[in-house]
Amino acid sequence: MIKIDSNLRFQMWLALSVTVVTALIPAIFILMAGKNPVTAYTSLLAYTLGTFNGFFEVVTQSIPLALVGLGVAVAFRAGVFNIGGDGQLLFGAIVSFALAPVFGDWPMPFGLIAYLAAGFIGGGVLGAFVGWLKARYRASEIISTIVLNLIVLQLLAWLIRGPFQEPAKTMPWSDYLPETLLLPNLIDGTRVHYGLVVALAAVVVVAVVIRKTSFGFKLTAVGQNPFAARYAGLREGRVVVWAMLVSGGLAGLAGSVQVAGILERLQDDFAPGYGQAAIAIALMARLSPVLVPFTALLFAIFYVGAGVLQREANVPFPIVHIIEGVVILGFLCFDALSRKRSLA
Amino acid sequence: MDIVIVSLLAAGIRLSVSIVFAALGELVSERAGIMNVGLEGIMLFAAFLAAFGAVYTGTPWGGVAFALLGGIALAAIHAIFVIYLCADQIVSGLALVLLGGGLSGVGYRLTIGRSPGEIPAFAPVDFGVLSKLPVLGPVVFGHTVLVYVAFGMAFLLFFAMPRTAWGLELRASGENPAAADAAGVKVNSHRLAAVLFGGAMAAMGGAFLVLAQVNAFVEGMVAGRGFIAIACVVFGAWHPLGVLLACLGFGITDALQIRLQIWYPGVPYQFFVMLPYVVALVTLVVFASRSVGPAALGLPFKTLRRVRKAR
Amino acid sequence: MALPDQPLLELEGVTKRFGRLVANDGVGFSVGHGEVVGVLGENGAGKSTLMNIISGLITPDEGIVRFDGKAMHFDSPRAAAEAGVGMVHQHFKLVGALTVAENLALGDPRWGRGRLRLERLKADILPIAERLGMSTSFERRVDRLTVGEQQRVEIMKVLSRKPKLLILDEPTAVLSREERPALFQMVAELAGQGTAVLIISHKLEDILESCRRVVVMRLGKVVSVSDVGGKSRDDLIRLLVGDDLPTLVPRTQSQTVPTRLLSVDSVSVRRSNGTLALDGVSFELYPGEVLALCGVDGNGQTELVQMLAGLLAPDSGSVRYWFDAGGGYLGPERVRKGGVSHIPEDRLKDGVLAASCLADNYLLTQLNDTRFNKAGWLVPRVLRQVVERAIDDFAIRAPGTEALMSQLSGGNQQKLVLARELANDPKVVIAAHPTRGLDVQTIAFVNNQLLLKRTAGAGVFLSSADLNEVWQVADRIMVLSAGRLHGPVRLSDTSLQEVGHWMTGR
Repeated sequence: MIKIDSNLRFQMWLALSVTVVTALIPAIFILMAGKNPVTAYTSLLAYTLGTFNGFFEVVTQSIPLALVGLGVAVAFRAGVFNIGGDGQLLFGAIVSFALAPVFGDWPMPFGLIAYLAAGFIGGGVLGAFVGWLKARYRASEIISTIVLNLIVLQLLAWLIRGPFQEPAKTMPWSDYLPETLLLPNLIDGTRVHYGLVVALAAVVVVAVVIRKTSFGFKLTAVGQNPFAARYAGLREGRVVVWAMLVSGGLAGLAGSVQVAGILERLQDDFAPGYGQAAIAIALMARLSPVLVPFTALLFAIFYVGAGVLQREANVPFPIVHIIEGVVILGFLCFDALSRKRSLA
Repeated sequence: MDIVIVSLLAAGIRLSVSIVFAALGELVSERAGIMNVGLEGIMLFAAFLAAFGAVYTGTPWGGVAFALLGGIALAAIHAIFVIYLCADQIVSGLALVLLGGGLSGVGYRLTIGRSPGEIPAFAPVDFGVLSKLPVLGPVVFGHTVLVYVAFGMAFLLFFAMPRTAWGLELRASGENPAAADAAGVKVNSHRLAAVLFGGAMAAMGGAFLVLAQVNAFVEGMVAGRGFIAIACVVFGAWHPLGVLLACLGFGITDALQIRLQIWYPGVPYQFFVMLPYVVALVTLVVFASRSVGPAALGLPFKTLRRVRKAR
Repeated sequence: MALPDQPLLELEGVTKRFGRLVANDGVGFSVGHGEVVGVLGENGAGKSTLMNIISGLITPDEGIVRFDGKAMHFDSPRAAAEAGVGMVHQHFKLVGALTVAENLALGDPRWGRGRLRLERLKADILPIAERLGMSTSFERRVDRLTVGEQQRVEIMKVLSRKPKLLILDEPTAVLSREERPALFQMVAELAGQGTAVLIISHKLEDILESCRRVVVMRLGKVVSVSDVGGKSRDDLIRLLVGDDLPTLVPRTQSQTVPTRLLSVDSVSVRRSNGTLALDGVSFELYPGEVLALCGVDGNGQTELVQMLAGLLAPDSGSVRYWFDAGGGYLGPERVRKGGVSHIPEDRLKDGVLAASCLADNYLLTQLNDTRFNKAGWLVPRVLRQVVERAIDDFAIRAPGTEALMSQLSGGNQQKLVLARELANDPKVVIAAHPTRGLDVQTIAFVNNQLLLKRTAGAGVFLSSADLNEVWQVADRIMVLSAGRLHGPVRLSDTSLQEVGHWMTGR
């Protein structure tokens, strides 16, 4: 009989209850839509985990979510609330697309790598800007990231109706990316593309940087106790800017990956709500880079599943956001009650 | 030229009201020490509820009532997590944004989205002769009733916060809850009331958008106003009239950008749409380093427990 | 005025423990109506705990508190205030952003439950305000007042409830020379009207000037109760700091090498409320010595330590280390890189990452150690070995390097902080209250480690409030009192008495 200490047991019960409550909330809405929640859930799980198409659709959807989620985790670790994932994602896609004509002439895979790097830099510049505003002017990153999201959204809207518009000049989207810059397919018969490799590589790199480099250590220290960081001579301002650079960069990379892997061109607001979902993804992964792909996968199940629920049970897609919100609250609940328990 | 300015002012006032409501509510909440970044979610949910309620009851006031209930309910969630569980205020607020948005989308698509129709809205109040005055008519006397409620609320807070015991205890709770507690103030009760008030006001903001500004419901129509409201609290230096002015500034800029689109059709309209947000960003940078909010903003508070009595 | 014979306040055998620490040990004395009694004691003597018991903030484990003839156990400050005990805390419970009138009205239903009746408040409190010279200050923001004025607001708030017993906790700690007489006059007047006053202070002179009787506390016990004038100043100081001069541990005479490590020149710094934390402070630190800074909390030590660590810039004057040619403000990073370590005063807030493991906490200030940081790349294996070695060397009781810092006891946490701050041969060690809150063995260990560094040639700057301990460790000693520096002097050139005098405000 394995002896589990009472604190751990409490945590397990708590995690279980939170998960159950979270799973039940959408059931309420399914009922309101007049359908049976049990059949809805089973068909959701059957599709996303049971069928070939379903599962790999989930994997495909998890790629950008994992990248943005990784970025959010990095920023949160440093104590910065980056909710600008959407804007940074779009801006990265814009920058890399803008440079695509140049990179398109380069031999494979250099062109593609340069294209992706441009996406990272684009998002990174935006992120670093937010970080700098915070470090230098104490400007709240919550407000600045949201405002930049809205600005970038408009910028994209103009670009695809203006300078970047497709040759026929009738539809609000851009021309296609050069062939050489498209991410090749990874698994035949699915939409899974090499962006998966990029995402996994990013996870490894970020995990290594956080665990094994002095920068990663400083990042975590600043987020955990800014006073101690100051006392120890770690430059919190610098750390914040770099953290935001990486965070925005990962989101920007997600944008370029989505365009190069799935969309093949720029469209209006092509990644709605990813930045916000990323918050839930990062928190559920407890800000650990290694766990992000798993929570991203879980949320991808929600995303794809929500599509299924919409088709089969007429449950509207925004239920995904309700789930995201409830998950975060559940995580907060778990965290708070564990803390109280251990202090008592 | 006059007509342009008059119409700009009138439109600016109208466009600012939803933000005024949300910002005044956040002002009270932050003065008590609690930040609620979930305003956007509350406004989204309230907007849907206002549309639904108005259609369901046949009158815009029905919409207001539904919206208020929803806003207070969401705010109550935030209050419980933040005040009593001492959870991180920003994370809880973000959860609210997602939750409110999701509830709004799901609710809409399940109900009025299926059978879109006209939403009973507010008509401008008829002040008789006053409404027909050349300048003051449209600018001051030509608005729907909620506009006056919003401005009235601003002035009410302006008077009440420094002059009442409630206002004093609220401010003390946000500046130095330990001192307030030592003086016998029930800090957490004040904070709870303030957060619920903030939720109600944000709900009014969402309701206004649907019932008096756009007269329709569109998903995502709040478009960041909930966050702009938070910024306006900073710009207004946490004073009711300052916040009112900041919101007006945003509203006028918004009204201006619409007109600029018409006057300069050669310029891509998206740049004009961006304009108020760019202005907000610049203003944020200028003001953030200067203004200091309530000293205990963002920090949870627990009253000192009496040590257990001797055996 | 005929006063009742029975004492107003009687304490018998009051004892309070916090874990293993006995903060109050069988405390007993009495205060009569209209009497002014002083409680004299150093940091850690138990005065604050005792006052918290009397004013209802905490309850004693043993003993009786009798107030106005009845055995009382106040269970809240409100209850104590209602019974007639008014306490003016050392750290004011005022809301800085509000005005004086607002602070007085806060939480007091007498001045209106809806609309504030500030005019009525001002009228009612005017006599008290006039006596304190604050009658024109009602509309001023509290955080713009001088500290002396803030204190008077706090006193007004307490006096407006007409207490029978007024407790003043370190009232002169924040007052300037000019402001003190007014305070004593007020105390005398109150006593004349029948209010008993209890003054807690470490400043002997103030107690001698204002009190009729003095209670001396040391290490939780009452060591003397006497009339002022019944004992000499020297007697009282001896009771205060203890009269067993500890035997100086024989050490090698410190070779003062002429090369200065640190030169502090006429440094002045103002606090955010306008008072001078440091006033023209100058001294030097040499290799191979322990320079001790003594003084009761609040006299500028914290600011001085922060300046030496590079965390605070002086308003005027300069702090110059041997490695710094420029003499301007260096941030904490540059200071540490130059070879200066800092054992922080507030370990939990500033010094450790409570939620991280021991290895990470060691790493916090040792990122420059190339054994485990190769150009930005960390080598956890080597770090772990180094930390394990430190755990052994410093006898830290911990399950391992991966244990969380929060799992360690305070003493062991401090040992880890010590291990990392003394690693890699720092040339200067700034130790701020390194033994505060620790048990006897750990205290001895810490002091020993500091002495080892001294012998190895480092300059140790020790800030401490415990004179006895300092006496065992220091070569030179200096005292900060109200921002002014006395000394430094060699230990052999002074005495415990003299330093005690400096600390008590003479």
